Amino acid sequence: MTDFSSRLALYWPALLDGALTTLWLCAASMVLGFLIGVAIHLLCNGRSHLGRAFARVYVSFFRGTPVLAQLMLLFYLPSALNIDVSPLVAAGAALALNSAAYQSQILRSGFAGIAKGQLEAASVFSIGKWKTLLHIQIPQVLRLTSPALISELIDVIKVSAVVSVISITDLMRVSQQLVAQTYRPLEVYLVSAVFYLALTSLLVLLGKYLEHRWKEHA
Amino acid sequence: MEELLKLLPAFGEAMLVTLGVSLAGAAIGLVVGFALNALRLAVSAFNLLYQLYIWLIRGTPFLAQLMVIYFGLPVIGLRLSAIEASILSLGLYSAAYFAELFRSAWGSVPTGQVESARVHGLSRGQTFWHIQAPQALAFALPLLGNQVILTIKESAVTSIITVPELTMAAGRIVSTTFSYVLPYALLVLSYWLLTMAVAMTAEYLGRRATRYLRG
Amino acid sequence: MSNLPLLQMRGVGKSYGSNRVLQGFDLSVQAGEIVSLIGPSGSGKTTALRCMNFLESYDEGEIWIDGQLLGYSGPGRSAKDRDSESQIDEVRKPLAMVFQQFNLWPHMTVRENVTAPLVLGKGMNKAEACALADAALARVGLAAKADAYPARLSGGQQQRAGIARALAVNPRLMLLDEPTSALDPELVEEVLLVIKGLAEDGMTMVMVTHEMSFAAQISTQVVFMEAGQIVETGVAPSMFEAPKTERLQRFLQPWFNRSLTPRTEVAG
Repeated sequence: MTDFSSRLALYWPALLDGALTTLWLCAASMVLGFLIGVAIHLLCNGRSHLGRAFARVYVSFFRGTPVLAQLMLLFYLPSALNIDVSPLVAAGAALALNSAAYQSQILRSGFAGIAKGQLEAASVFSIGKWKTLLHIQIPQVLRLTSPALISELIDVIKVSAVVSVISITDLMRVSQQLVAQTYRPLEVYLVSAVFYLALTSLLVLLGKYLEHRWKEHA
Repeated sequence: MEELLKLLPAFGEAMLVTLGVSLAGAAIGLVVGFALNALRLAVSAFNLLYQLYIWLIRGTPFLAQLMVIYFGLPVIGLRLSAIEASILSLGLYSAAYFAELFRSAWGSVPTGQVESARVHGLSRGQTFWHIQAPQALAFALPLLGNQVILTIKESAVTSIITVPELTMAAGRIVSTTFSYVLPYALLVLSYWLLTMAVAMTAEYLGRRATRYLRG
Repeated sequence: MSNLPLLQMRGVGKSYGSNRVLQGFDLSVQAGEIVSLIGPSGSGKTTALRCMNFLESYDEGEIWIDGQLLGYSGPGRSAKDRDSESQIDEVRKPLAMVFQQFNLWPHMTVRENVTAPLVLGKGMNKAEACALADAALARVGLAAKADAYPARLSGGQQQRAGIARALAVNPRLMLLDEPTSALDPELVEEVLLVIKGLAEDGMTMVMVTHEMSFAAQISTQVVFMEAGQIVETGVAPSMFEAPKTERLQRFLQPWFNRSLTPRTEVAG
């Protein structure tokens, strides 16, 4: 019987590996989700009835159903259509599509926070619609919504634990494997929870720092 | 169509399990969350404990909490069935979120109203129940409904420890029939309908509860 | 016993950290008196008023209400020396308060707002409380609105409901914190009229106010404060007509200028 610290030394590298997988999967999904979220937001405010209806249904669907069910659908549906989708792609797509629904809601308040006059000024100087979006609106939106986006990233990290069911070796999957090896479920799951706690707490601190910094600049 | 009809009884049964597990969990969460907020207000020394609880629960995934409770607790002699562990986990998990909702709801009642209650002879308890609670709860109703929805969605995770709810049922049908599209489509549709129904109910109740503000 | 003051404050002070918002505050209020606290904003008059019923704790001096020390039993004045809430409730029982922002409870009808302190605070039965409430509402001219929710009332009506609520507990001393400051100008008079009516009925009051003409008209005692301290006290209206200190003169100057135009007084 080894003592706890030497067992911890055994868990540590594997869990760190899993945590890194969780982190980059979530970060990539978050970025992709942001882009889709902007698209959904633009559709929501667009002229097309169809586009607006689609955006509404999209948001309602992804917010109204569990990520796990979305993941199952995205993982198995393509294979039914004879398209080969790797678990990693399915996981990333599910997390990104899901987060896009929430991010579009965050962006809505961000875009609303930009004074109308700025857009008028942009059009007076004949800056095109897309350039205005890219150079004038999005940088400000990112700034205005950064605390909300950080807390969305925290949600993505917590939600991402379910991707372990399609055998992605994220923090949760690695923990399950460690439990299978060591038969010490309480200890392993508690240590893995501490890893999650560390990730989310660091992000909370980052969010607070950003909020503080933007406030000083405002 | 025929295939669909064949699936419905199994889905109906699983839907009841989903509802039962998530509503039982949410009920525990509501009671514990309410108590956490009340304790926080009554005993200032409790605040630190409160924040610790919120930090732990909100900082970790529900699945991790479920694993600790279902696979971890037997190590110290507490063996729960999959359903019991799921209800307990959902309860402890949602309690943190409910507590925070109650905290912001209580914060939404202007302090002047609390002062005017206290100087006109209402005790702290009476102020809590008669002045703050009615307004705070009316304010919180839509948010509480939303938290119930989150709890329903989170309950899908309990399929991982083999609770025979919707997600588990869909997976089982897939593994026996090897048809993917219909069961999983039906799965997301079931959740969607369920959460929309809860959202509409909460919104209706919320509108009714705040009628006094419109005179 | 009859000349024991209802409210006696001696050397009362309060600080937030290093910021001293109130110091050396002395005041004695006999039954039947009407005291106006005047002064520029931030001069500590509202803090002084809120100390009188311990909505704010004070950390120097003593406050006696009807012969009982408010807030502390011993000589200590730090947070840990404070009496229990129920002890404080007991001492401040003879007081009622009218707030600048009315602070009505929006989920209750006007009548329920007035009966709540009676039923919940005093344990009175509902029928008795309703009778008292209706009498108080009639007195402020609001009998017709008893069943309305506050959101339906004008600011002036809300403040009159606030006064009815304070009146119904049958206080020996009423504290009024800028009762007309949150009102649109055209609604001020209806509230001042009600307060004037109370004064004529002999209600003891301490009032923070910016309505100088009104203060000059009804006060028995006027306290002028600046920077947390009392600068000058006197009796109305002579204190307004002949301020002794230069600071009070300066403070009253805008009001004098305005008074050159026909004086607006509350009819009654």
